[in-house]
Amino acid sequence: MAVSIFTSPPLIITLSLALRVTLLIYGSWQDAVSPVKYTDIDYLVFTDAARYVSQGLSPYSRDTYRYTPLLAWLLVPTTWNVAGFSLFSFGKVLFAAADVVAGWLVAKCLRTHYGMDTGRAMKFACVWLLNPMVANISTRGSSEGLLGVLVAGVLWAALSRRVVVAGMLLGLGVHFKIYPFVYGVSILWWLGASTSSKDSDKDKGSNGKEKTIPQSITGFITPSRILLTLTALTTFLALNITMYTLYGNPFLQHTYLHHLTRIDHRHNFSPYSTLLYLASVDGGNGYGYRFESLAFIPQILLSVVVIPVVLAKRDLAGAMLAQTFAFVGFNKVCTSQYFLWYLIFLPFYLPNSSLLKKPQLGLLVAALWVIAQALWLHQGFRLEFLGISSFVPGLFLAGLFFYVVNCWILGILIQDAGGLSAQEQVAK
Amino acid sequence: MKRRITFIQPPNAPFSPDQAVLTPDALSVTNLDAVREERLTVSYDELPDDIRTVIDQYQAVHIRWATEQSHKAPAPLASRISSGLHVFVSGEKRAEGEDALCPLLKRMFGEEVDCLSTEKSFIEPPILSKRFSSTADLYYYSVLSFATPLVDYIKDNICAKLPRWSDSSYDCIELASSLFADTFDISYDGISHVLTVSAVSSRAPGDGEWSQRVAKPEGNGNGGREGIDQVEVGLLTTEKAAEAEDIKMGGLLGVVGRDEKLKPTMFSFPSRHHALPDDATYLASFSHPKGLHPTMTLSLSPSALKEPPAPADATCALHTYLTLPSSIFGDKYQLSTTDPLFLQSHNLAALRAVFGETDLEAPDWAVDRWGSNWLLELATPENLDAVTSEWNVTIPLHLRYLPPSESGYRTIRVPWPVVFWACTAEGGTKMGINPFDRVNLGWEGLFGPRTMFYQVHPSDEDVYLYEKVTVPVLQLDEKEGLFRSKTIELGTVAVIVLGFLWVLLKLGLVSSSSGKKSKQGKTE
Repeated sequence: MAVSIFTSPPLIITLSLALRVTLLIYGSWQDAVSPVKYTDIDYLVFTDAARYVSQGLSPYSRDTYRYTPLLAWLLVPTTWNVAGFSLFSFGKVLFAAADVVAGWLVAKCLRTHYGMDTGRAMKFACVWLLNPMVANISTRGSSEGLLGVLVAGVLWAALSRRVVVAGMLLGLGVHFKIYPFVYGVSILWWLGASTSSKDSDKDKGSNGKEKTIPQSITGFITPSRILLTLTALTTFLALNITMYTLYGNPFLQHTYLHHLTRIDHRHNFSPYSTLLYLASVDGGNGYGYRFESLAFIPQILLSVVVIPVVLAKRDLAGAMLAQTFAFVGFNKVCTSQYFLWYLIFLPFYLPNSSLLKKPQLGLLVAALWVIAQALWLHQGFRLEFLGISSFVPGLFLAGLFFYVVNCWILGILIQDAGGLSAQEQVAK
Repeated sequence: MKRRITFIQPPNAPFSPDQAVLTPDALSVTNLDAVREERLTVSYDELPDDIRTVIDQYQAVHIRWATEQSHKAPAPLASRISSGLHVFVSGEKRAEGEDALCPLLKRMFGEEVDCLSTEKSFIEPPILSKRFSSTADLYYYSVLSFATPLVDYIKDNICAKLPRWSDSSYDCIELASSLFADTFDISYDGISHVLTVSAVSSRAPGDGEWSQRVAKPEGNGNGGREGIDQVEVGLLTTEKAAEAEDIKMGGLLGVVGRDEKLKPTMFSFPSRHHALPDDATYLASFSHPKGLHPTMTLSLSPSALKEPPAPADATCALHTYLTLPSSIFGDKYQLSTTDPLFLQSHNLAALRAVFGETDLEAPDWAVDRWGSNWLLELATPENLDAVTSEWNVTIPLHLRYLPPSESGYRTIRVPWPVVFWACTAEGGTKMGINPFDRVNLGWEGLFGPRTMFYQVHPSDEDVYLYEKVTVPVLQLDEKEGLFRSKTIELGTVAVIVLGFLWVLLKLGLVSSSSGKKSKQGKTE
């Protein structure tokens, strides 16, 4: 495919910048004239925390600040006035810029490691770069854009064998939002496949004989795997020790422990939502078997163990997408910002996916996902704004249906990333 | 023990001398149209033991209650609190023994009072000024509809110990029944060691006019622990005072059994609390549909928006003070905004104070403290003449999750807030001796000691001074319904396991396929 004017990198980057600038200006306008604000509530939390930090106080002085102090530090300029001009929107500009850098990294990877020509790479990078949802979220001041660039960076560094960079970005990403730790497992597994192409065959044993367990273990420990583990762990620990030294227990409590102890009783997309409401009442006394305490098992088993082992060596980005999809779909809490987590991988997945090769399937997937969302949102609206008790059957069934649709889509992702769909096509 | 009964007649109310007749034995009033205040002053030694044990732990205790029924509150008894039970304690002496206050409250006011301990259930109001002591250290509120439990408690624990069929027993029951009032206050002050109980009723039970015989005290001079030493009566009416901050009262006073006749009197005093004209009203409601984010609307009459007749150098602002049970709360970050667009759209001026349980995420069952208080300054129209109907102030609130119920709904009761003008003068009047003064109401302590308050009256369009809010909750019918906790539990687990197995199956298919070719670097 020739590089058409419509897919030239400067044009796409300019367009994606223009989209964000427009939204930023529109947002400032809406904030100035309407009591309903464009700016996300979370952005006010970040900027409040940044103000505390700029006064030498702890960012955790702000209730519901549940992020690393790094974020508050990054946003300290939002408290500045330069020549009478408030830099309040600095953070949004930063998040939007991070978005564009993430998209650019995606395009770079597609060209370098997926052998796409520039035009095709840009076309798929547009799924992220020109995605209105992505631009909207970051210009409203949500920090998910920062995570996008970290995750894209991890993937790019891994694919280009910059193991140290990958480890550092990974450590930073986990420090920021915990969930990227699942990618560590994929990359570790994948690194084995790539250091020597024979590695994967070795797993079965060279003479068709199974390797002994000690052999497998020593075979698994390779210099690049050690390097990745060490750099990621060092970065993660160094950041946490620094933050703990500076801010003490509130840092641990709000950034990490909160996520372990929170009850998540409020309605959300997770299939566990109704069960958790039930379980959290009265400390769960008198309500059954406490299955919800086992919810981490399928989630961790899939996203940390089985998916990386089965898919990482076949398709790293595909494995990471499936991991994220499983992590989000099987999580005990799920809100729409989590969907952004897997959006960054779509440009890698879509080109060879059965969703594009079989448009009917693609449309069906899109339609079912949208219908499941719409059904849930309708029930959520009835509860939240009309005050109708729609927990059962409405939200309960809608949550389970969304889960079922997610599992079905995850199955397709797994087939595609594992190359099964491609084989089917060949067989035909 | 001293008893004081004051009848306050509306200005220009008809009164003829035969409506109040004093004899050596008693005062008899007939068909008197008045607000009645019964006030009993009890010394520490005269108190029952279980009450003494509790108040020994504090420097001051104030227990206040207001009825949920619409009622009048004319000057000089104009101050208002939200309907329900309010408990203020100060100077807690953490000496020996466990917390005895909550158990006593439960005994006095019934199990409806959901108080665990002062530590868990009470909240700490902000102390604005150490010198001004009318802010309590700890405060508790409970939606309590009736005074009946307290009246029963007094009858069973105090009156029952008096000789049966005696005059003192009769007095005791009569006094206890006077607590079936619009509002009552029980205040104990550890410095003077005196407990005062006062009950105000805007109208007599039945036809609304008072016909009562007040006997001379039986226990005169017997020095015993029970019995009344003195009975003072007053029949008063308010008149126009010369100074804006003053209330002037005139009428008749007397001591039953001592004075031969009622003596005419006239006096005036600076007052903290004033009443606005009767047509200065507000109505509280929740707009529909309420959802999980109900909006409280205060509809103010045009007259309520007029600046009160405060001294010329005073600055006045209209305020509302909300008492919100833990099931409903405001977002302090949302309400403390200085964004003029947000504030204008709600006709709010600023959030002046907030304290208590303001967690934004916790469900009600994870919250021990009773709730929160909010002092909001309200915006008033720039051009008063342009406001012909009502002026609506809206306060966005949020609901906490409540435990499941059979119907899928639970009803919470939210008391109407109080609405008042607060006027502060630079020099200010020192509030001197006022026989009807009332401090420690929760909201007045948030202002300086020389602030004057002008009460806006709850509209009598509504009979009740609370709003019901229906909260949608998880519907569970453990006996008959399709959705029991078991169904939800097993249904969730079954679907999760099936989905999980489906994904594992797909992974298994991929794993067992021979297609090992990495897609990396594969070109199209």
